[in-house]
Formats: sequence, C-alpha cells, structure tokens
Amino acid sequence: MSDLDRWIAQLRACRPIAESEVRELCHKARELLIEEGNVVTINAPVTICGDIHGQFHDLMELFRVGGDVPDTNYLFMGDFVDRGFYSLESFLLLLCLKVRYPDRMTLIRGNHESRQITTVYGFYDECLRKYGSANVWRYCCDVFDYLALGAIVLGASNTVSGQSDDVEIEVHNSDGQVISRFLRQKEGDNNKQGGKTGGTPNGTTTTNGAPPPAQTSSPPTLTGPPGSGASGSSSGSLGNPAGAVLCVHGGLSPLIDKVDKIRLLDRKQEVPHEGAMCDLLWSDPDEIDGWGLSPRGAGFLFGADIVKVFNHRNDLSLIARAHQLVMEGFKEMFDASIVTVWSAPNYCYRCGNVAALLELSEDESGLGVLARSNGDVNRSDGGVGAAGAAAGAGPRSGVLMEGDLLARRTGPARKYRVFQAAPQDSRGMPAKKPVADYFL
Amino acid sequence: MSDLQKRWAKAKMSNALHAMATPPVPEFNEFDEDRYGSGLVANTPQDDDSSSASSVSSTGTVIPSPGRALFARPQGFPGRSLDPIPWTTYFERELFLPAEDGSITYHAYLTSPAPSAGPGKSPGPLFVTHHGAGSSGLSFAVLSSEIRKRLPSAGILSLDARGHGLTTTTSSAANGVEGGGPEREREDLTLATLASDLLSVISLTKTAMHWPSLPPIILVGHSLGGAVVTELACSLATTSSSSNKPAQQQTGSVPLPVSGSGQLVDLDLDLLGYAVLDVVEGSAMDALQSMHAYLATRPAGFDSLRDAVEWHVRSRTVRNAVSARASVPGLLVHSSSSQSQSQSPTQAQSRTQGQEGGGETPGGGDGGQDGADMEEKKREEFPVAGVNGGTRGKGGSSKPWRWRTDLAKTQPFWEGWFGGLSKKFLSGRGGKMLLLAGTDRLDTELTIGQMQGKYALQVFPEAGHFIHEDLPEKTAIALVDFHRRNDRSALVLPPKVSEMLAQGKRV
Repeated sequence: MSDLDRWIAQLRACRPIAESEVRELCHKARELLIEEGNVVTINAPVTICGDIHGQFHDLMELFRVGGDVPDTNYLFMGDFVDRGFYSLESFLLLLCLKVRYPDRMTLIRGNHESRQITTVYGFYDECLRKYGSANVWRYCCDVFDYLALGAIVLGASNTVSGQSDDVEIEVHNSDGQVISRFLRQKEGDNNKQGGKTGGTPNGTTTTNGAPPPAQTSSPPTLTGPPGSGASGSSSGSLGNPAGAVLCVHGGLSPLIDKVDKIRLLDRKQEVPHEGAMCDLLWSDPDEIDGWGLSPRGAGFLFGADIVKVFNHRNDLSLIARAHQLVMEGFKEMFDASIVTVWSAPNYCYRCGNVAALLELSEDESGLGVLARSNGDVNRSDGGVGAAGAAAGAGPRSGVLMEGDLLARRTGPARKYRVFQAAPQDSRGMPAKKPVADYFL
Repeated sequence: MSDLQKRWAKAKMSNALHAMATPPVPEFNEFDEDRYGSGLVANTPQDDDSSSASSVSSTGTVIPSPGRALFARPQGFPGRSLDPIPWTTYFERELFLPAEDGSITYHAYLTSPAPSAGPGKSPGPLFVTHHGAGSSGLSFAVLSSEIRKRLPSAGILSLDARGHGLTTTTSSAANGVEGGGPEREREDLTLATLASDLLSVISLTKTAMHWPSLPPIILVGHSLGGAVVTELACSLATTSSSSNKPAQQQTGSVPLPVSGSGQLVDLDLDLLGYAVLDVVEGSAMDALQSMHAYLATRPAGFDSLRDAVEWHVRSRTVRNAVSARASVPGLLVHSSSSQSQSQSPTQAQSRTQGQEGGGETPGGGDGGQDGADMEEKKREEFPVAGVNGGTRGKGGSSKPWRWRTDLAKTQPFWEGWFGGLSKKFLSGRGGKMLLLAGTDRLDTELTIGQMQGKYALQVFPEAGHFIHEDLPEKTAIALVDFHRRNDRSALVLPPKVSEMLAQGKRV
C-alpha cells in the first residue's frame, strides 16, 4: 500500500497524481464501493460533512478543524466536485482516503457526482486542463456511479462527550472553543423553554461576543443556536436514547417511505432526471405542508409533516443532509428533525458564508437498546412499540395521531464545528474570463 | 439577364419583403406562392448543410450571379445559404396592435396555442417572448418552431419592443418618410415602460384574437427582455398579493397599460413561470463599460441583407445560420426607403436589382467579406479592438442597410435595465429558470440563490449570448421541460399528511 500512501501525500500537497495512477485508484475504489449497499450503516462516532465543491484548501482546513484521518471517522455527503478550482485533487484525496481507510471514511453521492452536471460546472474542464484528456474525468465518473446513496449512523450518544447529560447541542469555533451550548429539553418542558436552567434563555453559555439568543417564548418562533446566527428550531428535544441518523445528500422522495426502499434501488447508473434516486440527491426541505414543486427543476420540496412521519416510521431521530448553501454553515429545521450541513466556506470564493461539521459522539453509557432503523427488528408496528417501550415514554397505539406528529423525537447530541475559509492560495486559479462583450 | 436570373432576383426580393414583414402582402407570382405560402412548422429550414431541402435557399445558392461568381471569394459556408428566411415560415400571423390612446402601435408575431381540448382540460401554454436591446421579435422565430415541434399545443407571442422591429410610436409614424431614426432616439425605454408594454401586448392580443381567457403564460426574455419579464413577473406578484381591487392596481410598479385599468383587471394572468436567457445583473453591469467599444466594432451598414446575415454568422454573433437568416433581417432597415410600413414591390424590386449591380463591382462584395474576417478576429481579441471599428463605421455609411435601433443612444437606460435584477429575479412569483451561456456569468446573489435551490439553472457553454438563436433546439427542450414541471393542470403531488389524517388513514 505504499503507493497509496505516496498518492495521499502528493494529493495533500495539492498535486494531482498521474493518469495511470488515477486509473488504478479508481479501479480499487470501485471494487470497494461495489460491496457497499445503497445505504451504508456506520457507527458513531462520526463527523458528518456537507458539500466541498472542489475547495481543496478549505477541505484541508476542515481536516484541521475536525481532526485528521484516520483519527476521526468521516462521512462526506456528496458534492465533492465542481465550482471550486481543485475538484480533482479534492475528490482524489477523499477517494484515496476511502481506499486506504475503508471503515473510517464514507462517501455518498451528491447531485454533482454526475456526468451531466460535471460537464457544465467545471470538473470536466478541470480534468481536461490538468491532463489534456477526458480520461481522468471518465474514470471518476465511473466511480461516481458506485457511490452509496445514503448512510445510517447508529449508536450516537445523546450526550456531548465531556459534558453533562443536559447538553444537546454544542457549537464550537474552528479553534475548538465553545461558542454556545443548548440544553436538552426535559420531558413536559415543551413549551417552557424560557424557564429552564441557567440565567440565559435556553441555558446557553455565550462566548466570543456572540449575541444572546432571542427568547423563544412560543413554539412558532424558531431560533437557532446563537452565535451561529442559524435559524431553525433547534431548541432541544426530549432526552431518551438516540435513534438512528439518516444521511443523504438532498432529502426525501415521495417514492420512498421506508429506508429499505432506498436499498432496493439500482444505483449504479448516471443520476436520472426523475425518480427516487434523483429525489434523494435533489430534494430540499421547505416550510410547506406536504410535498411541493422544487424550483430547482429536479427533486421535490418537502415539509415538516413529511420529515416527521418519515422519521417516525423509520425510527430515525434526525436526518442530516447537505445540498443547500447555508450562510451559517448549518441549519436545523422542523423541531430538529432535519439538519442541513454545508462544508464549503466562502462558496465559489465569494459567497461569504461559513462552513460547519457535525460531530456525533459514541454512546458510551451502555444504557438503553439501540434502536435499529434498518427495518430488521420488530418492524411490524412500525418500530413505535419498541422505541416507545425502550424509552419508557408510555404506550403508543399503532395508529399515529395528530398529537404524535407533534411529539418531539429523540435527538442525538450534536456538536457543530464552524469554520471559515482557509487563506486563499490564488496560485493556479484560472484567470477570470473576460466579460461577455454583448449584453443588452 | 436570363430568365433564370430574373426569377432569382424576384425570389430574393420577396424574401426581403417577407423578412421585413411588410403588409400588405406584396404581389406574388406563382413561383413564390409555391414556396412560401403554405406550411408553418412543417417545412422549416433545417440547419446549414441540409439547406438543399429548403427550396427558398436552394434558389439562392445554386445560381449565383455572374458578378459574385467571378470576383467574390467562394462562399464562406459552402453549401449553405445566407438568404433571409421570411417570418411566415415560423409564425402563424403578425399583429399590429394599436394602443387605445394611439400613442404606439405594437407589432408582434403570434402562433396561437391550441384551444382546450375539452372541459377540464387547459389550453396549451402561451410562451410570451421579449427580445433584447437592438434585437427584434424575430429573434425567437426558430425557437418558436422548435417549441412547437416538442409541444404542439403551445403558442408563441413574440413582440417587437418599442424602438425595435416594426413597433411604431405615433411620433415616428407621423414622421413618415423621414424615417423613425431621430424619433427613436427619444423613445422612453425605461424598464417600467417596457414591462407595461409587454402587459399591454398580452392584453391587446387577447382582445384582437377574441380569446375568452388567456392561456397559461410562460414569460421568456433574452437579455434586456429578461429584465423586462422579471420586472413584469415581480410587479404581478406584488399587485396581486397586495390587492386585486382596480384602484389599487395603480400602486404596482408597472404603470397601467395604456388600454385602461378595466382591461388589466380582466387580465387574469395565469403566470406559470418566467425564463431569463443569458442576463445576470452582476455580469451585465460589468459588461456595460465595454459596450461602446463593442458597438464601435459593428459595421454601421450592410450592402444587402445577405451581407448582414453573413456578418452575423461569421462574427459568431449568431452561431446558427438558420437563426441568423430568420432574425437578422428584422434588425435592419433600408436607409433609402421610407420607414413607412408598406414598400411597394416596384421599389423593392429596383433595389434588389441595384444590389445586383453592386455585386458586379468587385470591390463591394470583396471588401465586405474582408471586413467580416476582420470583425471575426477583432472579436477574439476584444476589447483591444475598436480602433478599426470607427473606420468600419465610416466605410459602412454608404451602405444602404442600417441598424433599426441605435444602441448607443439607449445608453441612458442601461443601468436602469439591470439594476436590482438578481433580487427581483429571486423574488418573483412562479417558476423561475435561468439559461446561461456560462456559469462564470452568475453573480454572487444568484450563486447563493442557485445553491439554495431557489431557481432552475441551465448552462449551455457552447452557445454565445444569443442562446436561443445559437441552440434553438436545446433551448426549446429546456423551455418545454420547464413548462411541463410548472404546468399546474398536470401536476399531481403526493397527498399531504394532514389530509391523510383527516381521511382517517394511517400514515
């Protein structure tokens, strides 16, 4: 494997490897990926990352902030390529790490991992520029077809490591300092967030001059973690053993009501223009009721009700997804039932956003039963009985009532690390194309 | 002249007349009737090399005049024709729509959408297209037939904006023989006026065609037209959300159409979405500085429509010869002729023959081609070019075919056209699609918007600025697909959870 280590070293220095080496790497990667299911099952601890988009130097910053491979387990939720100037190096490095540390590195497919999209948004041109032929692009695209469509994270702890049981969300800056903390909401405490522990609302400790969060006295006022400026409903959820976390690039599909249905797809193809596979990679959550038309031209919009029913049916506590630029790096929505993680700071070198990582720690308590979400245990009642009993949350009927929809699901403890763009190395950046000369 | 040559001259002449969309229809001889009269989409010219399929063009290419054959270098596009294609090939009819206050007569090309097939079925959509500055409604000619090929029920309404094409304001019309030139300079080309013009044309078309109601509409705008359709879509969103009382319609940013407020209220615009072709606020603003330099590199005039088509194709301004043949004639006007709407066939005939004479002078034709070559090179190293442009301009002053619209004179309006466009584009109601010739044209606001999934983006890197003329087929596919996704009559979303609960279903 010395070849592989050499490639990794070379790619870490942002120097592409030779075409023949790419070919060999892609071949190995394909052999590895073909063994993976459409939905990869991984265990906590894991660090979940969103879009990278060829911003190689920011990927290095990400590894600095989140910890290096193989010391940290990573899950990248797609969109490694396009738009940035180093798609090739970024993707090949991730692929190398995947081949070198298969169980510590998980890559799933984004909508940009497609032939059609990469020809338009830069990856194809970059390969052509750096190798003089499209062969490398073709090798990479073949790998894209084998990438998994989603991942399930099991065994996430519902306490942030090193903290008391009460902390549900902790936001760190890139130097590891805590920007803010959110306490877990106790049962029966649903609508009295203001009256919780600590002097500040939501029990938040504020440092780094971040503004204190707005008081959330009524549920419809959604506030996110202060300091991040994120808006969302991450005001905490009831504490009981964490369910599984589904990770997917885009979101849900009207054709997929169970995680198991994802497993049945034939993924080894170009991303289609419609259908379940397309939706998983293209859809977005939105503040609507039910399903809606996506303005993107592919996939759907889905509302809080859809997410909650899906999470309930599949015994998920959280859906983690990427796909949408969030200026604050991450955004929790729908009572923390879904979170968007975005890991490309200052996207396209000009959008001015920060990026984030999501760390899920390992459940070390040894308590509770892991609620498997694979659909393989006790699924006859939709998992409700098992999860409910384990949580001691009282009997629930198999029929889901309106009130149940509103009931907060368990959430794993979430540690976000927010980071900025790396100081940009302007070498190697293609000169800005001259403006179009006729524009009236 | 041989009989054959005469026939060719006649064919050429009537091409020119058609291209200028001159009513009343000039007298046809049987020969012409055979070629133009009939089918709409059925016999549209195919691209380039297959031009022998088009009888119109074959007359032109097969029999070159002796003068050209001797002195002009071989055609730059062997086997291809550069003869203008009349608008009748692409549109069902043209409409002259006088505004009620008589200040302006709009001109538009229309192919009607298929009426609704039955109760409950909605009629075909109407694509309303608005061209960019300096262009004309014929810019969308080829696109319209491509759309119809894929969506036969669709209609296309392509208007000439004021100061462009055959739309006339009364002041310029009154000037008659002197030509619209000086008057056109004073046209009010503010964005608000253009947007209200667009609304007026839609409403006047409805009246003129006696449609009981408007079909669902998709607005399509290229360049300046993109800003206009965005403005209209935005103002529709604000007016309809603020109030639907007639009195308060006045508060909308778009002034009422001249035809009166009553009509606007009746005009229940079913806007499915809007598509903007190759214009983005950031890059347009950047490009404005170099516009004068660019305009200076354009020839000021052409010897013939054919030369003009050739220049457009050679300079890659329009990269599709068929599109150029259809659209370029609409951009030019013969300076010796009047601006009046009808040109008598005799006039036109004499002009055509005069052209023949010009062709016999070797300098004329040859020089034009050299010039075209130079233009091509200059465009490559733009914006350094432009020095030569001045001399080109002077040289062209003797040439009879001049630009209809003096773009340089529209400069006072430029910034107003594009300022705030990105924000408006994102805030309008209905589906949104942006078609660009390159991803580098996105500005920061639209980059963020795109990555947040607020609109659909299509990029055709192989196209130039005139995307819909360069790639009419791909653009049509994108537009038809855009319609399909936004067609509410066909849209069936999965049921909402709350509805399922209400029905007592287990979810």
